[in-house]
Amino acid sequence: MTEMRKEDTVKLISAEGFEFVINKEAAMVSQTIRNMLTSPGSFAEAQHGEVTFPEISTTILEKICQYFHWSLQYASGKETEFPIEPELTLELMMAANYLHT
Amino acid sequence: MEIESQLVVLCIEAACRSKESIEKWRRQRRTLERMPSVLADALLHRLLHRRLLFPSLLEVFKNSVEDVDLRGENAVDAEWMAYLGAFRYLRSLKLADCYRINSSALWPLVGLTRLKEVDLSRCVKVTDVGIRHLTFISTLEVLRLSGTSPTEDGIMLLSSLRELSVLELGDLPVTDRVLSSLQVLRKLKHLDLWGSQITNKGVSLLKNFPKLSYLSLAWTGVTLFPNMPSIEYLNLSNCTIDTALEGDGYKAPLAKLILAGTKIQNEADMFSWIGSSSISYLDVSNSSLVDFSFLSEMEALEHLNLSSSMMGDDSIEWICCIGANLRSLNLSKTRVTSAGISKLAEHVPRLEVLSLSHTLITDASISFLGMMSSLKAIDLSSTKVKGFIRQEGAEPNEIASLLSLLSLNSLESLKLEHTQVDDAALMPLSNMKELSHLSLRSASLTDTALHHLSKLSKLTHLGLQDAVLTDKGVGSFKPPGALKVLDLSDCWLLTVDTLVSFCGRHPLIEVKHEHLRTSSSARTGSGSSRSPSSSSRRSQGYRKQARRPATSLPVSRYFIDQRLKYNREEMLAMQYQPMCLLTTQEMEAAVSYMQSN
Repeated sequence: MTEMRKEDTVKLISAEGFEFVINKEAAMVSQTIRNMLTSPGSFAEAQHGEVTFPEISTTILEKICQYFHWSLQYASGKETEFPIEPELTLELMMAANYLHT
Repeated sequence: MEIESQLVVLCIEAACRSKESIEKWRRQRRTLERMPSVLADALLHRLLHRRLLFPSLLEVFKNSVEDVDLRGENAVDAEWMAYLGAFRYLRSLKLADCYRINSSALWPLVGLTRLKEVDLSRCVKVTDVGIRHLTFISTLEVLRLSGTSPTEDGIMLLSSLRELSVLELGDLPVTDRVLSSLQVLRKLKHLDLWGSQITNKGVSLLKNFPKLSYLSLAWTGVTLFPNMPSIEYLNLSNCTIDTALEGDGYKAPLAKLILAGTKIQNEADMFSWIGSSSISYLDVSNSSLVDFSFLSEMEALEHLNLSSSMMGDDSIEWICCIGANLRSLNLSKTRVTSAGISKLAEHVPRLEVLSLSHTLITDASISFLGMMSSLKAIDLSSTKVKGFIRQEGAEPNEIASLLSLLSLNSLESLKLEHTQVDDAALMPLSNMKELSHLSLRSASLTDTALHHLSKLSKLTHLGLQDAVLTDKGVGSFKPPGALKVLDLSDCWLLTVDTLVSFCGRHPLIEVKHEHLRTSSSARTGSGSSRSPSSSSRRSQGYRKQARRPATSLPVSRYFIDQRLKYNREEMLAMQYQPMCLLTTQEMEAAVSYMQSN
């Protein structure tokens, strides 16, 4: 894979401070992140390309990032299943609800 | 509330997959407590529909859930109620048709401080004791008690629930005395008293409810028309009305009036009591009305039901008067004929839904229907429509009458059940590109009809019940891409093999036929256990089901009816070999029996 340019990526930071650098297009699957990154000027997130989620644990944020990528693939016609471990369902559900994804 | 987030839906499905998956999350107490009510409500109801909810599991929702809908759940009993009584934020509880719910089961609700809505419709074991429990929930605004079992005194207790705005007391012993005691409920907006013992004396008390806008007195002995200034919805079906409440010249500003099956003694006066100009919905089906001149003032009318009324061609002009805003018109089982429709055609520019079923309408009227340019749905079932108009003249010939419907660009639904329309007459339908619903129950149709219809690209529902379809016809049928439901009930020539292989080739189409009854219920069962969000997985599920060899059908081991075991050709071949089905033992028995005779 070719090196991703910095302006095409976004950094998502979990409650514990763990950083996930992902493709901006993937992150935009979340309506909440999309609003943060695209609304003109108002959010610091838009300028630095960084979003911190003090309420979302690293495990859940990792799963969310996986979902973003799965969702893009699914939309482009690659119909696979997105596996969710039962013990993560509640936390993931609440994060998904917050992120509008 | 509908959940929009795709990932939330996937999570709910994963959480409700099995008993084991529930065990994985049910001890995450702190997370469950923080859960927004929208998610908690959705999770609880998904568990319920997956048959995975049991009383002690309810406990995990006690700090999050606000709305609980258990209508029609047979299992719900006092044990469930004990847990629900601990739901701190419970706002609405629907228990209609939960027949195990009795008065004492309602006791745990007493401590709830946010409960606003309780639906106990048809919980027949709820008596006065139960009503007394409810009166302690002073926050109640909506209470539905139709079909429960309190006495007069029990119902009178409700007068202490001063916040009530919606009260349904259908089929209860509500007398004038009871209604009098309920007058203190000043916030009441919606009162349903169908089938009660209210008399005219009680009707005059209704004036004391200043906000009352919804009133049902259906199936009562009331003969007074309650013309009160606040009423917007009034249901007087199956009453006998002879005069109006002595008013101050009020005209009820009604929007919706139901007079289905109502006997009206004094027709001329009846509509002078109503502010006719505001009515948008009028149902006078099965009523005794003869003179329809009252319609002329109902300029705002959008929905008019005249089914089984005395409406005929001679009165159709009154509908023409107010046709400008009409959206739906039901003329089924009336005396209206093609002559009436010809008068109506130009006057209903916005009509979208028209029913003419069970009338004497003939093909002549179809050209007039073609002029009603907004039509979306037409019902011509059980009429004299044949699909052809005979043109007299030097060279008499027949033209397809349904051609006239081609001018209706928005036509989506057409019913032609129980008519004499045949294959040839249906030809024009293949050009109706917007059609999504088509019902053609008729024994005059064959394979040819099926093939005409395969061109309808937007067709989602097709009914060809009773038709003379053959295995060959169904086998070579190419269904339109959008088709979801194909009803072939009572197409008696079709065999199991053909239907099963059709389902196999078209896994997304729900086929209805007597032969498929058992297998299709199994299919819906497994379908519902899968994620509704991912259509691809569902389709795989269907495919897997449909690909099963025919041996896995319920007929595999024990044949109740030999016709299920063999296909038509085999059956025909067998009819001249009477002995072939007998075992050797039976054969010997039969031979010895014949010899002994």
